[in-house]
Amino acid sequence: MRILIADDEPVSLRMLQKTLRRAGYEVTAVRDGRAAIEELCCSDGPRLALLDWMMPEFDGPAVCREVRRRRGERHVHLVLLTSRSSKQDVVIGLESGADDYLIKPFDPDELKARLHTGLRILQLEDNLVEVREAMLYKATHDALTSLLNRGTIVELLAHELSRTRREDGCTIAVLGDLDHFKLVNDTHGHLVGDEVLREVARRLLSSVRSYDFVGRYGGEEFLLVLNNCDAKKSLKRAEEIRTAVCGSPIVTSQGPLVITASIGAIASRGRIPETVEDFLCEVDRALYTAKSAGRNCCRIAGAEV
Amino acid sequence: MRIEVVSEVSKVVPNGVLIARFVDLSDLLARVENDCELLIELFAMFKEELPARRAALHNAIQLGDLHLATAEAHTLKGMLANMSTKHAASLAATIETAARVGDMAAVNVMLAAFDTEIEAFSKAVNEFVAGH
Repeated sequence: MRILIADDEPVSLRMLQKTLRRAGYEVTAVRDGRAAIEELCCSDGPRLALLDWMMPEFDGPAVCREVRRRRGERHVHLVLLTSRSSKQDVVIGLESGADDYLIKPFDPDELKARLHTGLRILQLEDNLVEVREAMLYKATHDALTSLLNRGTIVELLAHELSRTRREDGCTIAVLGDLDHFKLVNDTHGHLVGDEVLREVARRLLSSVRSYDFVGRYGGEEFLLVLNNCDAKKSLKRAEEIRTAVCGSPIVTSQGPLVITASIGAIASRGRIPETVEDFLCEVDRALYTAKSAGRNCCRIAGAEV
Repeated sequence: MRIEVVSEVSKVVPNGVLIARFVDLSDLLARVENDCELLIELFAMFKEELPARRAALHNAIQLGDLHLATAEAHTLKGMLANMSTKHAASLAATIETAARVGDMAAVNVMLAAFDTEIEAFSKAVNEFVAGH
């Protein structure tokens, strides 16, 4: 675990450094408050700190206040270590944002025990962040395919359309639907259907650039949001995606299955709709046109193909 | 009892008898987790650091800057306490308190006592460091 120690008094600094290294900490030592703030406010800075009160530039409480103000997301466990021992000082120190207060000269066992308390708090925070991130992932992704779920992909489309409007760019939305997918489920069972959906998701992801988005829009429907595209290439991109899905049979536990897809696409350039729903309505109509045209083909909204 | 402690610690800290008159060596040894090399290194650093800090305190008092004198006395108190030099640390603490309340007369009286103690202590530190 990394720890920052800030103390302008070299003997005290050295003693702390040696004690903490012996206890297994990776120590960063600084001699003034400004350097302490810079270290602690780095995104990958230490999350545990021992701060002297009286230091040049910023004193210990000022460091606490500044770190609390600037470093929002992750907690930094701040311990003031000072020879100021009055009750009033302890109150001022803790009120400034310190998590703990130790009086010099320190006892090494007590110091280590207090730091263990800090580590427990940081570990608890790490666990909570991990759980929150897992929940966020579940809330935004489809459990079967691990693609973005409908709510998230639509939200991203709305965001991209709004950005496109500002920057005079072009976003292409591609809505794909697997042809006769119900037949796969009815003939081979839902587990095979799931295998197909997972493989289609993988193929879709490999057919787009890292900054494009792919989501599961419905049962066997997929929505892709392609950023910074040339509107004239909408059909070409849609065809590439269709080929990626249908180019070769999908190998399942019941054997290889030939899967095709119908695709509707729409480019935002020259047709900024009022709402994302309007945009989706248009791409849905293009998909319907592709279905009506015999499936396993692409149609562009507004284009006479 | 005190002599017993001194002689006991002196076995662990070579050349530690003189300095043990000023420093609670058993307390300091415990705080450096019985690392004699570190203890010697700390005294060498302390020897280098002390004159400048003393001069800063004297300067602040001569200028009549009691705010600065408070800070300098506080630093000296911390340094001395850190080295388990308890009597000298308590003298520095009285200077800090007197300076904080603006009692210049008390500051000067305590400074004289502090200087006497520190002079003797510095000699012990110099001897100790020279012996290692």
